[in-house]
Amino acid sequence: MTENATPTNMGSTVTQVPSPEPGTVDMMVNMGPQHPATHGVFRMELRVDGEQIQDLVPHIGYLHRGSEKLCEHESYSQIITLFDRLDYVSNFNNELVIVSAVEKLMDVAPPPRAELIRIIMCEFNRIASHLLFYGTFAIDMGAITPLLYNFRDREKIQALFESVSGARMMHNYFRVGGVKQDVADDFESRSLALCNELEYGIGETDRLLTENEIFLERTSGIGVISGEDALDWGLSGPVLRASGVPYDVRVDEPYSRYDELDFGIPVGSAGDCWDRFYVRILEARESVSIIRQAIALMEPGDTMAKIRRIARPPAGEVYAHCENPRGDLGVYIVSEGGDRPYRLKVRPPSFCNLQALRDLTVGHYIADAVVILGTLDIVLGEVDR
Amino acid sequence: MLSGLRGLGVTLRGALRSKVTSEYPKEHLPLDNRFMGFPALTWDVARDEPYCTGCMVCVRYCPTQCMSGKMQDNEKFSEGVSHRKKIIESFEINLGRCILCGICVDVCNFDAIEMSLEHERSERLRNANRVDLPTLLDMGRVYQVEVGWKQSKPNAASPNERAVAKAAEEEAKAAEESVVGAPDLVDSVNMAEETGDDAA
Amino acid sequence: MSFTDILFAFAGLFGLFSALAVGVLSLTWLERKTLARIQQRAGPSVVGPHGLLQPFADAMKLATKEDIIPAYADKLLFWMAPVFVAVPAFLIWLAIPFGDRVAVRVLDLGLLYLVAISGIGVVGLLMGGWASSSRYSMLGGLRAAAQLVSYEIPIVIVILSVAVLVQSLSLDAVIGGNTITIGEATRDLPGQGLIPFAFVMPMGFVIFFIAGLAELGRTPFDIHHAESEVVGGPFVEYSGAHWAVFFLAEYLNTFVISALIIVLFFGGWSWPNPPESIFGNDLSSTTTNFVGGAWFMFKTYIVAVTIFWIRGTYPRLRIDQLMTFAWQVLIPLAFVNFALIAVVLFYDWPLWMMPTLSLPILIGAAIGVQRGRGVRDRPQTVRILRRSAGEIGRPMPNAPTQTQISGEGQAGD
Repeated sequence: MTENATPTNMGSTVTQVPSPEPGTVDMMVNMGPQHPATHGVFRMELRVDGEQIQDLVPHIGYLHRGSEKLCEHESYSQIITLFDRLDYVSNFNNELVIVSAVEKLMDVAPPPRAELIRIIMCEFNRIASHLLFYGTFAIDMGAITPLLYNFRDREKIQALFESVSGARMMHNYFRVGGVKQDVADDFESRSLALCNELEYGIGETDRLLTENEIFLERTSGIGVISGEDALDWGLSGPVLRASGVPYDVRVDEPYSRYDELDFGIPVGSAGDCWDRFYVRILEARESVSIIRQAIALMEPGDTMAKIRRIARPPAGEVYAHCENPRGDLGVYIVSEGGDRPYRLKVRPPSFCNLQALRDLTVGHYIADAVVILGTLDIVLGEVDR
Repeated sequence: MLSGLRGLGVTLRGALRSKVTSEYPKEHLPLDNRFMGFPALTWDVARDEPYCTGCMVCVRYCPTQCMSGKMQDNEKFSEGVSHRKKIIESFEINLGRCILCGICVDVCNFDAIEMSLEHERSERLRNANRVDLPTLLDMGRVYQVEVGWKQSKPNAASPNERAVAKAAEEEAKAAEESVVGAPDLVDSVNMAEETGDDAA
Repeated sequence: MSFTDILFAFAGLFGLFSALAVGVLSLTWLERKTLARIQQRAGPSVVGPHGLLQPFADAMKLATKEDIIPAYADKLLFWMAPVFVAVPAFLIWLAIPFGDRVAVRVLDLGLLYLVAISGIGVVGLLMGGWASSSRYSMLGGLRAAAQLVSYEIPIVIVILSVAVLVQSLSLDAVIGGNTITIGEATRDLPGQGLIPFAFVMPMGFVIFFIAGLAELGRTPFDIHHAESEVVGGPFVEYSGAHWAVFFLAEYLNTFVISALIIVLFFGGWSWPNPPESIFGNDLSSTTTNFVGGAWFMFKTYIVAVTIFWIRGTYPRLRIDQLMTFAWQVLIPLAFVNFALIAVVLFYDWPLWMMPTLSLPILIGAAIGVQRGRGVRDRPQTVRILRRSAGEIGRPMPNAPTQTQISGEGQAGD
């Protein structure tokens, strides 16, 4: 691609590349940063022969905000607010990663009640993130109703978040050593009632889409990737599990109190778009079961460990990773002993999953590119940081 | 087409349910007391002055550096009315930059700043959404009434109040220990059981 | 033609035009309200009571919008394209009967006229796509033309089946029945007063409905103006009043297809009344004809709501899947339907033989489509593994342990 990009047509939407067949040219179709279906500011350049995609060049960086650089100048309590905004759809999971990393470095364990509250919030956030996925995936294919149903359920979850942390999205609720404040008295009953409503909502999307013939035609056999290829590319999360690799950080390297909870992880075998979709549906159902178990385990207690308010971890390095709804989110911190890190590096699952986009899409039609990008479930805040 | 007909049933059922949207701004949904709206400064009614002493901890810890302020000597301290040696003179928050994270509330030692329930403060010009000290104190007063606010941080109280509170706490503790002599006994029984288990 | 004839013709046309304009605007409102109801939200509710004036607000907005014509556009074709799409939609209404021999123009060859006029709309889309001189609109225009032409065929064959059933091309015969003489014998072919043709030819009804949806370019067949891909298709370069005419044409077509479904398969103005009277009243008075027309419109609106309901439920097909569906499923089924009705009438079998023969074929085809997509075996490709069952919980091989990373002050190996 770079050999054809001259300064005058850099970033142009119309360039022609001579194709292998004599007398024909392939067409460049640009699905530019502004497009209803690219899930954020993301640019895909497709080289197509008629309707079939021959090559795909992704361009990222439109949402780069310098988060990792900012983290070098901010204390850990401020970094939690930055991490909220990385993957802006699953905020609690991001907070959990950074807080776990600093706790690991400081060798601090949060009290059991705080850990359960964290697990419950993370699982609700997982359900909310998957609900967003179903809705946007369906509307990319033309089904306009699941989006509205899923957002109705997301609103309920966000109302619960508001009653716990004070904010619907950018919570800044987890702290090094626990959580900011205890939950209200009606939290348990409210969460259980919400779990029932969410089961109904997930079931609604399931009945609308999963066995719909048109949905199957659009997603079955599209964007297939095998388990070995997925591991080679470094994929993680539902994308990896749909290809048959049963790897989930919550199960294989348990953190927080996940080893006390009994839940299943859905694993696919076909590795196509339908499997990636259905794995997420089953995952949301398992999250409901996790929340119910966690609520049953809750006991009165402290919600914050007895440490100083401003965290000053000792010098050292730490890597901590958790299961984001999108995959394996990791953070690597190099600390020199102050209240700010020396260097902080994020391993975002969407960024790593996006690497496989070209391999998944080449050979399919233009309409399939949108579907495949949807199943990777990327959030540009995480990709670009 | 047959399993696709199930989808029609789902949408039909959806059509029979009531609507879940509300027409803003005609209808406002209720906010939780914990809702983090824009920050506001609290007012100490007993001493008729702000809680804020101008220590600037919140200004330093704000991630977006949206606040600025100035401290001055407190006349009421020299008059003996208040325990605050310094008091806030001027304070400005650029609400356009505030990310509503609540860190300022967490680090404040004096209960001086709270996240109010206000969230509808748009302005037309880009940098015009800035509020000064009187507006912040007004917002704070409204917030304090709305949620029945009580001060909670120990440093917010004056030394006298703290001494009184501490004395009351110690009295309550002593009363508990004297009335129920059993806790000692129960504790020793429990300990015996535990050691018994270990031995076995 | 005397002067009064011409006056009546113009009056009829003018009345039809205004009635259709109101009807189409009401259809846009109805669509938005139906979708909103399905999605548990309000829909238009601000402009006028229950948002009833919303279509007028939309029309005013579109009329006052700036008209942008691309620099390289073919000006004549650019202007003519919306006309070629909208005018046929109006023209079809000339033949549709609202009562016994009550139409703007009573045509003996009504069905032939319908088929002929509906073919003109394709040309308009092609013109729009070409004249916009834009890559996306060209792609969209070609796709739209291919789709419309392919789905014309099942529609025409089903219309032919209906014509065979009543042995006439006149729309009044389709509703009211026909009497034919073959040599010495006369045969009374019933109309739809007692049993609508949807029950006589269920396969034909389903084929016509699905092919009609595709003719309209509505979900699940709206790939040519799918927002997530070619973002507007042949209409992408049109703005303001030009686009309003395309928009109008789409809803006119929706209205017309719904009306045709009722005329051909649900008895038009008559069912469930026998053709001699409407709700017990004699056919000759004007009020009864009004009631008949209103009843016809009511049924049409029910079909339109069903079309909107389908739009709210299903995702859309890709263009090649759409074409496969037309050529490999609908056209063979349409031919089978035609052959069946011809056989039933030729051998003078009772009419209930027709649904008895065609329903199993229809259900068999539906099951075949399902099996072809692998509906039954799909959920089994995903299974749930549990730690308690011992199926998962082993750490990944070669995963670095925490001591390797953070202890000893060394960076990773």
